[in-house]
This record gives sequence, C-alpha cells and structure tokens, in this order.
Amino acid sequence: MTIHRVIRKVQRFEGWFGGGALLCLIAGLYLGLIGSPPDYYQGEVVRIMYIHVPLAHTSLLGYTILAAGSLWYLWKRDPIVDNMCQAVAALSAVFTALALGTGMIWGKPTWDTWWTWDARLTSFTVLLLILIGYLMLRTFVDDPEKEARYGAILAIVGFVDLPIIHFSVEWWRTLHQPQSISMRGVSISSGLLVPLLFMSVGMSLLFSYMLMVRTQLLYLDRLLHAKKGRLLSQFHLSKSDS
Amino acid sequence: MTSLNVIRWIVWKDFVTELRSRETISSMVFFALIVILIFSFSFSMDHQAAREVIAGIMWVAFAFTGIIGLGKSFSTELQNDCLEALQMVPEAKGAIYLGKVTANFAFMFVVEILLFPMFVILFNLEVVEEISLLLLVFFLATVGLSAIGTLFSALTVQIRAREVMLPILLLPLVLPVMIAAVEATKGALNGDPLAMYEQWLELLAVYDVVFTVVSFWMFEFVMDS
Repeated sequence: MTIHRVIRKVQRFEGWFGGGALLCLIAGLYLGLIGSPPDYYQGEVVRIMYIHVPLAHTSLLGYTILAAGSLWYLWKRDPIVDNMCQAVAALSAVFTALALGTGMIWGKPTWDTWWTWDARLTSFTVLLLILIGYLMLRTFVDDPEKEARYGAILAIVGFVDLPIIHFSVEWWRTLHQPQSISMRGVSISSGLLVPLLFMSVGMSLLFSYMLMVRTQLLYLDRLLHAKKGRLLSQFHLSKSDS
Repeated sequence: MTSLNVIRWIVWKDFVTELRSRETISSMVFFALIVILIFSFSFSMDHQAAREVIAGIMWVAFAFTGIIGLGKSFSTELQNDCLEALQMVPEAKGAIYLGKVTANFAFMFVVEILLFPMFVILFNLEVVEEISLLLLVFFLATVGLSAIGTLFSALTVQIRAREVMLPILLLPLVLPVMIAAVEATKGALNGDPLAMYEQWLELLAVYDVVFTVVSFWMFEFVMDS
C-alpha cells in the first residue's frame, strides 16, 4: 500500500482526532485551572505550564514529522507527502511561536524578566527561525517540484543541526551565567502531572487534527490547480481548432 | 573523467576565474574592512573592552564576508547557463560539491588571513604565542561555514530573492560555528590555557564532519533536475 493511500485512509478518522482533542483539552483545562492546587513554589503562575509544555512538546513533534516527511519525499517524491510537510511546517511554526510567547509570560513573574538567553529558549528561537526560513523559501520558488525538494533539503539539514545548536547554546550558557535561573531540581508532583498529561495528549490530537485538515486542503488545492491547467489548455486547443 | 578530476577542475576553474576577475576576494576584503570600521565607531573601546568583544566582531565580519563569497560561488554559474553544464557532469554530483567547498574554503580562509593583521593592528592585539591555535580555530570554523554554506549557495541560486534568502537560511544554522569560533578565539586571544576552550574546538570538528557529510549527501538532491 502506498503512503498516499495510507494518508487518505487515516484522514477518514480526522473527526475522531478533533473530538478526542476537544474532550482532552476540556478535561485538561478543567483539571489544570480549577481541579489542581497551586504550586508550592510558583503559586498560580504554574498553571500556564499546562499550556506551555504541551505546546513545546508538540512543536518538537511537528518538526520531527517534518524531517521524516522530508526524507520520505526525497526518497519517493510523492506530492501528498510534500503537502503534509508544508502543512506541518506552518503548524509547527505557530506552535513554536505560542510556546515561546507563553514561556515569556511565565518567565516574567518567575524569573522577573521577559527574556533570557536560556539554552531552551534560545534553541526554540532558532527552531522558529528555521521554520520561518523554510516557509519563506517555499514562497520564493516558482516550480512546485523544486519547491518541495528544496524545502525537504532545508528541513533535513535543520533537523540534524538542532541538537548541535542546543548543545552549543547550553555550553555557552553555563560559561556565562551558571545556574541562577535553572529549572533543575523542581520535580513535578502527581497533582500537576494528571492535567499536564491530559493537555499533552489533547494538544497532540489537536495538532494531528489540524495537520490532517490542512494536508487535505493543500492536496485539493494542488488537484484544483492541475485541473485548471488542463481545462485551460483544452479550451485553448478547442479554440485553435475552430 | 574520475570524480577526483572533477573536483580538481572545478577548483582550478574557480581559482582561474578569481585570478582573472579578482572579484570575489577583493569585494570580500573591502566589505570586511568597512564592517571593522563601523564596529570600531559603534563601540568606543579601550584596550580591556577590545579584548572582550574583538572575537565577536571578528567572526561577525568573517561570517558576513563569507556569505558574500558563498553567494557569488554559484551565482557566477548562472551566466552562460554554466549551472546546466555542471548538472550534466556525468560523475556523481558530490564531486562538484567537494570542488566548490574547496574553492569557497580557500577564498574565505585567504580573506581571513588577510584581514587578521588588520585586527591585530587596529585593536592592538598581542598574538605571537597563540598564532598557531588561532589558525586552527580559523581553519575549523571556515570548514564548517563553507561546508554548509556551499550547499545553501547552490540551493538559493535558482530562487527569487536569493541574496536575502542565503543569509536568512544560513545564519541560524551556523549558530554553533559562530558560538564555538567566538569562544575559542576569545580563549586564544586572552592566552587562556587550552583546556578551558578545548571543547569548542571539538564542537567545531564534530560540526565540520557532520555537515560535510550531510551537505555532500543533500547536494545530490539540489542538483538533480
């Protein structure tokens, strides 16, 4: 069975993903905002973590899907995989930006600063820059086949680079400002873990749901363009005949 | 024609073109001088402050000039459809990549060697003892920059707004090189013991190996048409 048919088949269940996301997110939000106690150290501020951590995880998951899809595209050259790559890149960019934004909102009361060159913050910023670069690159290529190929190359190189970027920034950080605002040593109690789990599952389902809808949209868009091209050429042919 | 010959001819071709036109290296050196000038106006530095920021200034200048050279590397191939001719080379495309990387590395390294005395003079540095270590840092960082830069030079050459897209795509990806090069250069200039910045040299070496391999492999996909 080709990947094309697998994707089409999975897409039939997109409603289940959307519904599951809705249920999980409602349960997670209730538990996180009302049903769980405030954190001993951070107080009510900790509740933004129920949004922030799932967003961050999901955007990394998204980039992994992008890299895997890009490898698959370079191997098999299946256009629907490229539609998926384009969809997942845009979604990952949005999720990364939201993760950075919620992180900054959390950082202001906790670290007393909107921004710090923390290793994770910095590597997420670079991740966002790579994703935006990816999306920009795609808009600057005219030929759809080339657009897909170039995008895939950038995605793969970026995926290999991300761990190295993270390590280098981490070393650089420990050199310049050791430990003052590290999160290490803050363990998670089970009361906080349950809503976090719900939110993580819900956010991943939401991401998958949006990914499916957007892949479908881009796929149909491509078909439409192909059909339009065919119709136009037929129209011109019939006109030149008469 | 073996792959080794392809590499040799491409390097030879780029060197001869450069010797005849003197376009790339002269524009790189001149641009870097302007960058240095602007930096020395932007920060009013005493000797102590210069030691702190000089490594950063140096690598910003090197990276920006490197991007000029890298951009030219493939945009000159657009004239007379030379890019199509390169794509028709029967050998593996990786040979073209290796040839281009070698030429780009040579141009960037020569420019860095030419510029370094400028830094020494303008910012009053003492480097007699550390010169071999600094050369090692320059070498490793320039290999990394040219390895990944050559891939993206080839990738951006056929798209719209290529002059903008090359730095936009390249600079985030070479962040590890920049950090490691700046830290290692700073360590060497301050005369720190090698053990304090050894890790950055190792990081550069790992980056070089990883991205030479990845870019070599990906170049195949950039060129096929």
